[in-house]
Amino acid sequence: MQIVFFALRNFNRARTRTWITVGAMAFACAIMIFYASLLEGWLAGMEKNAVGMDLGELQVHATGFRADPDLYKTIVEEESVLALLGSEGFVATPRLYASGLAAAGNASSGIELRGVDLVREPQVTALNVHVWQGQWLEEQDQAGVVLGRKLARILGLTVGDEVVVVAQAADGSTANELFRVRGILKSVAEGVDRSGFFMTSATFRRMMIVPNGAHAIVVKRQVPTENLTQATARLARLLPSYEVRNWRQLQPVLARLFEMSDVSLVIMLLITYAAVGILTLNALLMSVFERIPEFGVMKALGFSPWGLFAMIVAESMLQVTVAAILALAAGLPLAMYFSHHPIDFSGFVQSSSTIAGVALDAKWYCVVTVHSVLLPVLFLYLVAGLAILYPALKAAMLKPLAAIYHR
Amino acid sequence: MSRASFSACIFLALLVVGGGILGLTGPAVSAPSQDEQEARAILLEIDDLWRATSSQGMVRMEVKTVNYTRTMRMEIWSKGKDKSLVRIVSPLKEKDTASLKTGNTMYTYLPKTDRTIRLTSSMMMSSWMGSHFTNDDLVKESRLAEDYEPRISFKGKREGREIIEFTLQPHPNAAVVWGRIVMTVTTQGHLPLLATYYDEDNALARTIYFSEVKNMGGRLLPALLKVVPTDKPGEHTELVYESMRFDLDLPESLFSLLELRRR
Repeated sequence: MQIVFFALRNFNRARTRTWITVGAMAFACAIMIFYASLLEGWLAGMEKNAVGMDLGELQVHATGFRADPDLYKTIVEEESVLALLGSEGFVATPRLYASGLAAAGNASSGIELRGVDLVREPQVTALNVHVWQGQWLEEQDQAGVVLGRKLARILGLTVGDEVVVVAQAADGSTANELFRVRGILKSVAEGVDRSGFFMTSATFRRMMIVPNGAHAIVVKRQVPTENLTQATARLARLLPSYEVRNWRQLQPVLARLFEMSDVSLVIMLLITYAAVGILTLNALLMSVFERIPEFGVMKALGFSPWGLFAMIVAESMLQVTVAAILALAAGLPLAMYFSHHPIDFSGFVQSSSTIAGVALDAKWYCVVTVHSVLLPVLFLYLVAGLAILYPALKAAMLKPLAAIYHR
Repeated sequence: MSRASFSACIFLALLVVGGGILGLTGPAVSAPSQDEQEARAILLEIDDLWRATSSQGMVRMEVKTVNYTRTMRMEIWSKGKDKSLVRIVSPLKEKDTASLKTGNTMYTYLPKTDRTIRLTSSMMMSSWMGSHFTNDDLVKESRLAEDYEPRISFKGKREGREIIEFTLQPHPNAAVVWGRIVMTVTTQGHLPLLATYYDEDNALARTIYFSEVKNMGGRLLPALLKVVPTDKPGEHTELVYESMRFDLDLPESLFSLLELRRR
């Protein structure tokens, strides 16, 4: 108790120096809270785009389809597979894929035709609400298609324009049809942006002459907390004759990027706090050196080395606590503000820049999590604690007589 | 000037300069040998076999894959080295679908949608009309003599026939898809018998068999071409020339985009 009292008294002695130290720590911590929240938001956005729009959590394919996508490699009894998945606690949607060519005016581009189930797809992905211009597909509008954003730009298309599609149907004939652009998606992922051409599965089946089967079944866990690896194994056991992959296996680069994000945050914290640590070390060294005679007197009066050590540590921890409170007071509202008002980079970056093939929103939101707030604060304590060791040990080991006469 | 067109200019300039240097030093380094000249002459002869100054004909195409078998009939026209037109006559579903090739560009007319599409380079390796021919085959085939360096690799008797076999190696800078083509022709008349296509890794990719030599339009021609892809066992495409006429007076307008849409 006595130590805390001394520490509190000392906190107020060299006010300017104390507050500069506290200010530097608070500033660094506040910035790091903001940065960590931004990073969380950035990753959440990428995960939302990759998993929530395109990949889904798990995918089922006919054996060999992933290695060599082919119109004929279908999951034949897709309805019974869907029923089985439903009864086993999975949400699933069938998808149809084919490659073809889309042309409008003088422009043409290779496309990936995607036939989607309009009832089931929204239960698994949020593509239907990820429309940038126009509207999502509609069962009644068989001639209406939805395009990836880059594809629309390549073909010079806007909502309402006509687009011709040519592809090779399953019977070898030339499938060709005139469609009308019903909607253009926001950025999702490189593949979808560049070549995604969405239509209702009924239209796909009629045009490509694929009366039944599905090329992929995209699956979501009903209980989001179920471990992804366990869910993958459970699904693979249910469907032994098919290829089952989770999104981490489908997009290993992306999965790795997410795993690395914590490491990159820690590196950023270490770099930023290294500067704060040096500043703290300097301030505390100063305060120890100018009080050497005083420490000598305290020791002569019976203050133990450990008491002195504890007092100096308490002093700095007091400063860190004040800094942390200030940082929270400044950083939290800042991060909260930017979680509702995104930083808009659309003027600086291309509309659909990607990392690991996943679209990066030009608008950056903060996402405030326990993790993004606590990690910077904990690291501040850790770095300050390390910085204080040397001055505190030095004070603890002073010889009383020499210290009293120290000039 | 945009950055892209600027770099294209630099690229073009380099090509011209590079070409100039090659042009200057080329003949001194290697004058074409007699073999090479002969091979080149045969190649041009083959290039010319089905086209003459102009041609018109009817062709039946049979495609057999593991997933479907289909037969199409089509009328074909050609003029000069780089103009050709193919119009499908049957089946009814694809009737009047037409492919026009002028120079290095290929257009497809789709009667169902009444639209003409220019094929991009990314589509060149995909199948033409569901067959084992690629779009690139239609555009590139007439340019064999330009893109490849021919060399006679065998001359003599094989399977009881006098033949000449020559190997085509692509020019170092030619934008071609094959790593090597080996062609066999009869010594007499230089009629093609066999063409084997190897990919960049020197693995056999496909074989074309030429047979049933007939007199068509005053020329002796193999009337049957059979393409067998190596990586798809059991599949093939057969091209049967039903009739051919040569050296006709075909109007230039036949090979125009406007004419392409004619029904």
